[in-house]
Amino acid sequence: MMTMSNAYIDDFPAEAKVIRAAFYSSFFALALGGVFGVIQTLHRTGYYRFIDSADYYTVLTAHGVFLVISFTIFFLVGIFTWAVTTSLDRGVEDLRFTWGWYGLMAIGITLSGVAILAGFTDATDISASVLFTFYAPLQGHPMFYLGLVLFVVGTWLAGVDWFRSWWAWKGENPDERIPLPTFMVLTTMLMWYIATLGVAAAILLFLLPWSLGWIETVNPLLTRTLFWFFGHPVVYFWLMPAYMMWYVLLPKVSGGKLFSDPLARVVFVLFLILSVPTGIHHQYLDPGIAEGFKFIAMTNTMFLLLPSLLTAFTVVASMEHGARQRGGTGYFGWLKALPWRDPVFTGMALAGLMFAAAGFSGMVNAGMNINYLVHNTFWVVGHFHLTVGTAVALTFMAVTYWFLPQVTGKALWSRSVALGQVVLWFVGMTFMSNAMHRAGLLGVPRRTAEPQYDGFEFEAAVGSIGELQAQIALGGILLTLSLVLFFANVIGTGLNGRSDDLPANEYAGTLSGPEDAPLVLDNLKLWTAIAIVLVIFAYTFPLLSIVDRGGLFGPELNPFPVSIESVTLLAFAVEHLAVGALESLSLPGLLEVIR
Amino acid sequence: MNIHTYEKVWLIAALVLIVGFIATVTYGSVGLGIAMIDDSEETVEPGELGEDERFADPRVEQVGENEYEAYVVAQTFMFSPDPIEVPAGSEVTFYVTSRDVIHSFSVAGTNINTMVIPGEVATMTVEFDEPGEYGVVCNEYCGSGHHNMEGQLHVVEEDEFDMTELSVEADDEVETGDEATIDVAVENRMLEELETTVTLEIDGETFGEDVTVAGGETETTTFTVDTADLGEGDHDWTVTVDDYEDSGTLTVVDELEEEDDDDE
Amino acid sequence: MSRLTEEPAQRQEIDHDEYDPIGTLALIGLYFLILAFLWVFMYFVEFLGNEPTVVGGFVTVVGVL
Repeated sequence: MMTMSNAYIDDFPAEAKVIRAAFYSSFFALALGGVFGVIQTLHRTGYYRFIDSADYYTVLTAHGVFLVISFTIFFLVGIFTWAVTTSLDRGVEDLRFTWGWYGLMAIGITLSGVAILAGFTDATDISASVLFTFYAPLQGHPMFYLGLVLFVVGTWLAGVDWFRSWWAWKGENPDERIPLPTFMVLTTMLMWYIATLGVAAAILLFLLPWSLGWIETVNPLLTRTLFWFFGHPVVYFWLMPAYMMWYVLLPKVSGGKLFSDPLARVVFVLFLILSVPTGIHHQYLDPGIAEGFKFIAMTNTMFLLLPSLLTAFTVVASMEHGARQRGGTGYFGWLKALPWRDPVFTGMALAGLMFAAAGFSGMVNAGMNINYLVHNTFWVVGHFHLTVGTAVALTFMAVTYWFLPQVTGKALWSRSVALGQVVLWFVGMTFMSNAMHRAGLLGVPRRTAEPQYDGFEFEAAVGSIGELQAQIALGGILLTLSLVLFFANVIGTGLNGRSDDLPANEYAGTLSGPEDAPLVLDNLKLWTAIAIVLVIFAYTFPLLSIVDRGGLFGPELNPFPVSIESVTLLAFAVEHLAVGALESLSLPGLLEVIR
Repeated sequence: MNIHTYEKVWLIAALVLIVGFIATVTYGSVGLGIAMIDDSEETVEPGELGEDERFADPRVEQVGENEYEAYVVAQTFMFSPDPIEVPAGSEVTFYVTSRDVIHSFSVAGTNINTMVIPGEVATMTVEFDEPGEYGVVCNEYCGSGHHNMEGQLHVVEEDEFDMTELSVEADDEVETGDEATIDVAVENRMLEELETTVTLEIDGETFGEDVTVAGGETETTTFTVDTADLGEGDHDWTVTVDDYEDSGTLTVVDELEEEDDDDE
Repeated sequence: MSRLTEEPAQRQEIDHDEYDPIGTLALIGLYFLILAFLWVFMYFVEFLGNEPTVVGGFVTVVGVL
């Protein structure tokens, strides 16, 4: 071989192909989601309305599902595959299985996506303008729910794939500590298995049979509670890959080492334990759930701040280590010694900074009675555009500039365009998110096509509604420009030829390594058991109480809006695919995982 | 495990923040008495609200001297009653339920905010000290017309607030020389007794009668008008009780025709 | 698998025992103060000032007693 390159693609060409497929799926979803995002921004703020306000909700559903389901999850299965193969230094066990779960995810999201997008045309009865939360009695087409099931089953199998790699590696290295990136993948997936039980139950037991007409009614509070059982931890499913990047990549691009491997493990264990028994904090204002359950959810949620606060220290200390090795000095002067011209570094650092701000609005969201102030207002939208919309999305875009050469073998098209892109995202999101938070405090609701009412106006103590709308629209346009630059770089890189002068496939070393971490941290069975016990404590009584009050299938209610005629073929598919897949594949897989 | 001293300091600081947040919220609950929406109400059948004694007729009721209950129904894409009217200086308990999908009942610019879930009844008690007019929005997506779902909450000056209802039954047509009767029923839905004056104005002439209506009662006042004095033709009348008004036309004819049903 | 040992821009190697993240402590101390201040502001000014607020029925009961 002539090449001197030591990039990922040189060591793992077959896996690089799967990761590329996952990344491109992710970017396709990002492009769609971005287009729907700017349409919404301009519509809501009233600057440019070319769709009917009734169609706004189809746009919003597409924006939400494509970005927080397809964009984030396709990207993270890519970097998780990188993390496991790189840190264990072995390829996947069975490449067909790997393509299998990727294919299942792709089929699933295509079905859901088509069901959503079909809402734009009257040519079919298919539609699913039910938003990302799909609260019953709003009803989507069965294809929407079926697609989600297949997608989630795909992620379950992806987890099985990574566990198989670890088991095989452990067989050959019985006395070694789990390498940190693999440890992060495994703990995240264990959390994900527990979390998705909620949405799997909601869809398979209730929503899908109901949308197919097999059962007449559902209990709206029950399906909503099951959704949030999954709906809060899913945000950690997006976030933990970003954290992984901050722990294993950011110290390296800063020129330093990870400050503490043991604390990184503690953080991921805390996420595994505490992510799920918190979902009821999304239901502080729901009737039918006792105040005591809400208080328990708040306590768990508040303690879930701990791993994030610890991360803030460890990650900043790792950056500072790099800065000092590069000659930085002083209390704050070292910040100047960081590689701010590197888009991978700057993107992640700005994402982290935005996440610090998001920590503040998240604390408010976690508070029980203060929720009266912010619940379902635009404040919440401001919050998650900082978390998933920046901490996660900007980190993913920044690390793309490192990963893309690794998995394509091609040099990045333009580092300066990349730098401009990440800065533009930061500026755009600052305008948009800040204005959203402020508007929320005035009572402006989220999820509405026209927050302009006939009978009253929102009153701003400082500034005006018009000024806030202008900032939101401006922010939306800057974000769209940023996306255009991102895709220019992705496409430009794709058009480049193979390079043999790429950075090696490496991640950060540690100052305090795994040898300092107590062995018990690697006891995944123990942490999984504790996580399950906490979930049982937090959810058994609320769920029993909800079923006791409203019944398993709820009161008599008409589905709304009814979206199907009769889809015999689909009904057949559901019976044989979803149920079959669940029974034969996932449950034993899951049991094995826990064991 | 080898944790740097600074990181230990931060760990303690982080725990202080967390405990501080929980303590603040607990102070709000216990110290200030801010209660959460909870499960204290029985479930209802959303499809049978028409037979429910609270929600069949969405309304405000007085239950104590300064205490009121508001029974509110949310449905695509409206709230009833609309507007909701309550007096300043009162304590109002809202009972809110949904006839169809999940909505919210959120009074813009205040901390009055609850999800409205079909089958469940959300209840919240609120003290209104000052008069004011608020918008009510649904802040949960409820279908294609979600953005049109709004209502009003009016908190009116205490001395301008009443729950008086006026209904008038009057003859439409009488023969000259006969007496025309106008029955004025004044319902007082408040608990205190209502002292007021029922005024009838017909053809520029005014008749008044003072009435006292006990709390929760209805008093009927009957005005008798001698049509001989009015003469043949149409005579407009207006009945006024406080701010309420009803009006109509009395036709005096020479001889009554059969089956002639003029409206008012 | 190879791990990073060198970085082109790196001038010196600082190992675990000789590294005190004092800059991190300074930054995160600032963050602590901002969080504490904003929390107090959000709870006591924005939230409690956003009246009327939902109170429990039990407050009246206590008043009667």
